[in-house]
Amino acid sequence: MTKEVYIRAACQISTQHPLGEVWMDSPVHYNEPYARAIDPDYKQFLEPNVARRLGKILKRALLTSRQVREESGIACPDAIITGTGLGCIENTGIFLEALTREGEAFLKPTYFMQSTHNTISSLVAIDARCHGYNATYAHKGVSFECALLDAFLQVKKGEANTVLVGAHDEMTPDYFLLLKRAGYLGHAPGGFSGETAMSMMLNNREEDAACRLDGVEIAYRPGREELQDLLARLCPLDEIDAVMIGTNGNPANDKLYAEVCPELFPGKQLLRYKHLFGESYTAPGLGAYAASILLRQQRVPAHLFANTREKEVTRALKRVLLYNHFEGKNHSLILLSACGK
Amino acid sequence: MQEEIFVTGAGIVSAIGMNKQENLAALKAKRGGIAPIRYLQTSRAFPVGEVKASNEEMCHALRVPATAITTRSSLMGMIAAREALEQAALHGRNARVALISGTTVGGMDKSEQYYIDFLENDTRNEYIAAHDCGACTEMIADYFGLFSLVETLSTACSSAANAILLGAALLRDGRVDAVVAGGCECITKFHLNGFNTLMILDKEPCKPFDARRAGLTLGEGAAYLVLETGTAARQRGAIPLCRLSGHANSSDAFHQTASSPDGQGAFLSMTRALNAAGLSPTEIDYINAHGTGTINNDASEGMAIQRVFGEKIPPVSSTKSFTGHTTSAAGGVEAVISILALQENFIPANLHFTTPMPELAFVPSTGREGVASRHVLSNSFGFGGNNTSLVFSKL
Repeated sequence: MTKEVYIRAACQISTQHPLGEVWMDSPVHYNEPYARAIDPDYKQFLEPNVARRLGKILKRALLTSRQVREESGIACPDAIITGTGLGCIENTGIFLEALTREGEAFLKPTYFMQSTHNTISSLVAIDARCHGYNATYAHKGVSFECALLDAFLQVKKGEANTVLVGAHDEMTPDYFLLLKRAGYLGHAPGGFSGETAMSMMLNNREEDAACRLDGVEIAYRPGREELQDLLARLCPLDEIDAVMIGTNGNPANDKLYAEVCPELFPGKQLLRYKHLFGESYTAPGLGAYAASILLRQQRVPAHLFANTREKEVTRALKRVLLYNHFEGKNHSLILLSACGK
Repeated sequence: MQEEIFVTGAGIVSAIGMNKQENLAALKAKRGGIAPIRYLQTSRAFPVGEVKASNEEMCHALRVPATAITTRSSLMGMIAAREALEQAALHGRNARVALISGTTVGGMDKSEQYYIDFLENDTRNEYIAAHDCGACTEMIADYFGLFSLVETLSTACSSAANAILLGAALLRDGRVDAVVAGGCECITKFHLNGFNTLMILDKEPCKPFDARRAGLTLGEGAAYLVLETGTAARQRGAIPLCRLSGHANSSDAFHQTASSPDGQGAFLSMTRALNAAGLSPTEIDYINAHGTGTINNDASEGMAIQRVFGEKIPPVSSTKSFTGHTTSAAGGVEAVISILALQENFIPANLHFTTPMPELAFVPSTGREGVASRHVLSNSFGFGGNNTSLVFSKL
């Protein structure tokens, strides 16, 4: 027998005020193409020796994980699954630059030790003393969705009752420069590169849940028909109350949404989130987090409407669909529903 | 009752061969592939398990233009995946096929050549987008053009084994009709030097489960399995090689770069995989160990094997003594070797073994032919205590 899957708690550190929902009513606006996350004062939350030896991405992952473990009352989840596009890119960059500029003779182990992608998931497991399933997905713009899909299947099939899912990407100035050269970031007026640290706890109990996770679909280079099929697998179109999309201000990225949305989601109100959190490989993690807050609070602030002329939702918010694509190749759909509805 | 998962194709590229046949011949002849560095541009002088082909030679074999944007990992991956797909006779028409690949270094082989260019000029931009793990998997996917779902696992040295786990989960959910799962990883200066800073590289070819062991030998390679449900395989008349009868992952939750002394994570992954397969430890006929040759791993894994198997420990060997440690590809490379051992009824040798470890009650197998294997267990453990065990069984 399969089980329903719920998001019990979710927490973020991003370009918005950290560890809360201040962004709902007082969003921070960015005009520059590159922004770092607003870090909380880690001294208040982490042991000094821990905070000192960890890079930014690891501190953020550790803190957001601890927060959702505490909020959900699930100290040791059955599984820990992380999505990260680039992993610990700051440490990787330091080691790589030393290697390429100074050669092989003078390298130090510290940066290498904390450079692999699964350092994040391992750190969280060590912190929570969890011996359960542990995995890390690193696949460009669908890294988070891959992690969420794995977690969703495990809860649905009863292989895990509780799963901590993370979406974590840091962006260093150097790597921003690289990805700007590659055409991914930093090209658009109005859009910006952000950073993602988002942890959420999934379980199989409706009690105290923020929302229900009804499905995750990921597709590689799908045609329109395949996208239609995936959507049909999730739920009838008329049950969807709003669609949250991944427009980020980059015309090359947003063009596809303009083409696809009227075909796939005719007449639906479109919401956005990357105007708050910026673009990053795991930004859809923040999209899912934001949608879970909207469903829990049952309200949508005006700044979230993709069509800036719209001010409020025309239908009660029961089901929100997230649609994201990465460079037109990787497409994802996530369906969330309000609880008790 | 869970739906059965069949293996209907397998492909491998490693230091001991560019396909299953060459790997099998080397394993049976006890002919290892560890040698001085020939292809990697480095000032280091460790023995390594390099794949014995240049990128140009692999491009030629694949009919990929030498000017195409490729990385060494993706080229090895294409060769191994092609062999697996050919054996499964899977062409993907009207079928939903997923590619799940494990890697950690991704396109690091190019990044470490061009990083200064990346930072300072626009001459190598095409390799920036090729750096990350997902890019490596997509290069392989695009070579075949038949995959509707493409994902990348990155859990260091258990990546490919975890790709196989996810593949089984996707099949059981009915999301796809077939899965190509495994991993690929080339040797880079980045992780050769990284492991060197941790002082876990042996100056001689690695000696797993030997008292004189002094570290691991880096290898490279790629390997993929084609997985299908029993129902799907039967329906299209595929000839299964064996069953993936059990699998499990667990976290050691001990340290980022060291295993716990009692091998708790390894104990859990082996125990859970056996439970999933519905097998008792006595039914396992061969263990293809993670066996890196580091002081820490072999002590920890050896202890865990003793805890699981007690007095009756089946033959154990680490074929990293042939291939070197193929890191993220290891779970795939060793799954294919385990399947070959199962099909061909032999126990692959643990090369370079002379001296028993005083703390262990068993010694590794030096190889044997003519055994009747029914079930084999393959271990892959990654940095950060990410432990995965797979069980393959004859049909």
